[in-house]
Amino acid sequence: MNTVFYISAAVAILSTAMVISRLNAIHALLYMIVSLLAVAMIFFVMGAPFIAALEVIVYAGAIMVLFVFAMMMLNLGQEAVERERNWLSPASWAGPVTLVAVLFAEFIWIVSRTGGSLPGGGGLGPKQVGIALLGQYLVGVELASMLLLAGLVGAYHIGRRMPRTGEENEASRAGISIKQ
Amino acid sequence: MVRGDFFILLPLIITGGAAVAVMLLISFRRSHLATATVTLVALGAAVISVICVAAAAPRQASALLILDSYALFYMGLIFAAGCAVTMIAYDYFERQTDHREEFYLLLLLATLGSAVLVSSNHFASLFLGLEILSVSLYALIAFHRERLPSVEAGVRYLILAAASSAFLLFGMALIYLERGDMTFFRSTQIASGVPAWSPLLLAGTALLIVGIGFKLALVPFHMWTPDIYEGAPPPATAFIASVSKGAAFVLLLRYVTLFGLHSGSVQSAAIAAIAVASMFFGNLLALREEKVRRVLAYSSIAHMGYLLVAILAAGPLAAVAAGYYLVAYFTSIIGSFGIISVREGREGGGDAVSDYRGYAWRHPWLGGAFTAMLLSLAGIPITAGFVGKFYLLAAGLESSLRLLVVVLVASSAIGLFYYLRIIITLYGPPEAERQGAAITPAVSLAGGVALTALTFLLIWFGAYPAPLLRLIQAMVGG
Amino acid sequence: MITVPIEHVILMAAILFSLGLTGVLARRNVLFILLSIEVMLNAAGIAFVAAGARWAQADGQIMFLFILTMAAAEVAVGLAIILQYYRHTGTLDVDAMGGGRR
Repeated sequence: MNTVFYISAAVAILSTAMVISRLNAIHALLYMIVSLLAVAMIFFVMGAPFIAALEVIVYAGAIMVLFVFAMMMLNLGQEAVERERNWLSPASWAGPVTLVAVLFAEFIWIVSRTGGSLPGGGGLGPKQVGIALLGQYLVGVELASMLLLAGLVGAYHIGRRMPRTGEENEASRAGISIKQ
Repeated sequence: MVRGDFFILLPLIITGGAAVAVMLLISFRRSHLATATVTLVALGAAVISVICVAAAAPRQASALLILDSYALFYMGLIFAAGCAVTMIAYDYFERQTDHREEFYLLLLLATLGSAVLVSSNHFASLFLGLEILSVSLYALIAFHRERLPSVEAGVRYLILAAASSAFLLFGMALIYLERGDMTFFRSTQIASGVPAWSPLLLAGTALLIVGIGFKLALVPFHMWTPDIYEGAPPPATAFIASVSKGAAFVLLLRYVTLFGLHSGSVQSAAIAAIAVASMFFGNLLALREEKVRRVLAYSSIAHMGYLLVAILAAGPLAAVAAGYYLVAYFTSIIGSFGIISVREGREGGGDAVSDYRGYAWRHPWLGGAFTAMLLSLAGIPITAGFVGKFYLLAAGLESSLRLLVVVLVASSAIGLFYYLRIIITLYGPPEAERQGAAITPAVSLAGGVALTALTFLLIWFGAYPAPLLRLIQAMVGG
Repeated sequence: MITVPIEHVILMAAILFSLGLTGVLARRNVLFILLSIEVMLNAAGIAFVAAGARWAQADGQIMFLFILTMAAAEVAVGLAIILQYYRHTGTLDVDAMGGGRR
């Protein structure tokens, strides 16, 4: 089981590195799904099967599909890949990579001074999660529904297509409102 | 959940229920007036319900929310601010035709998120409240989706808020990993046999402060604030500058008070550095700006820096000072953006300081109100801002934070310049070709009522602070 | 289940978080920035589940559920804003915004 964890972790890290470095958005998205699947594997071996299932169903299944839809609507082609290549000069990586490397070195030090290990045995199945979720976290579930309402209304309002896009492009640059 | 929990949660239930009611109303019949009225009535009812449930406080409603007098006071303030923003928004959107009803729905949700934030007692409710607020704000900021500046501001806020949420979450996860409990009280208390500050806890708290720092737009997390304030519709900007920041600050104050910040510790030194940087950079960068909204954006950064002095001072007087300052700040900043919103909605025109030349001659009443608001932000006597700043100084001196007090006074003096510059421009000679614009009525009934009330409160709190002070002492001082 | 030390799990979460942060800082394409933020949120979720497993509590998993909810709401609104941005400008470059990136 331990080997499973380390292999999944390696896959997750490698594929995430690919996500942030790809030029083609669809390729990045595929790597992202690989990464999420690897993380689901880790959840499973950590004794959280319910969360593992949700990671696949909601994250890899639903949220990533939203990204796919957006990319299809944007209709990015080969020229987008070329543009990305120009944007991503090696120099543009140097700063962030160094910064994050420093942060990360600090983190290794912190973790090296922390003890404790995962308790062996059973894990927490959907039953325990469900009892806690609809027990002491009931208010949280209600609030989560309000959060989804905000997401729904916001996406509906912002996402609606505007008629007569040609003129509005020009007008919007000048910051003038066009009434429908 | 028992019946008592439902009763004490009444303010939140009213706001959440109103959001659903407004959604249904919009789907059946689009009416700007009806939507705004329902929103206003609901927020007014929420304010009244806060007063009603105050007798039952304090009460822990499930594990997530604590409804004590501290939370209820700020909840009342947030709902009242929501009322003012609703009226200003009604005035602003009256002239627009495109789907404007959603604004009120999102405003209600954002208000709900802020109210949850000030009453949260658990990482889960902190996170959910913050996200309800943030997700509503993405849409409120990018509300003018047909205007590029608004959409750009939306993109900026999206990246900033989402990344800061990730920091916040990772910080909370580290604290939970170390403490095994997500309630504020138990995650901050020192269990027997556990060192007070482990490296992991320190890292978690640092990440948490980064996350909240982005929300409060403190230096060095302030980069995009002026762009967001400039691009968003003015009523939304009024909301971000007041309620969104205020709620995050109230939460930070509660959390840090539980922690018991020791002077001389790493954490208090870090917060002091952020406070000094925010006060100085906020005021200095505002001097360079040519646009009123950008000036006010930097001014709001400086104001959050002033408020951090209250966090560092830590004590009953500091809590009262923070309360008074927040009331004064809410009144003046909502009023300022209210007047910007009224002007932009009715007259249009640029946002540069020079575009306001002669505004006070064309609209003496609005110009006077704007002057009062700016003087209050600057902290001039007889305005609420002065009393607030006075108590902040007193709290700082009581805890002998001499350096911070000196910086507060010095940076406020710098701040005077840009506020006075706007005021002088307001009373400058009007341009000839703009004379005709004065024919349009200055403001609608709703906007006028809101701005009159804000100006009245501003001067009342400044000239006769005793009643408000007694209320704050009773609610947050104890 | 597994006997992996807890710090290895947290370390992996930290690596993913750092990778996501690198992406946010280095990329100019706003779609990639949003994807990188998703990586960061997911990493925070892993840390929560690991912390919950350490204390044998369901709370960590519940926090993951809330993160999932938030990610869904945020991506929905975020992608809508990004689509509008693209319709206005014909580009996804953040640095092309008025006033640049910083």
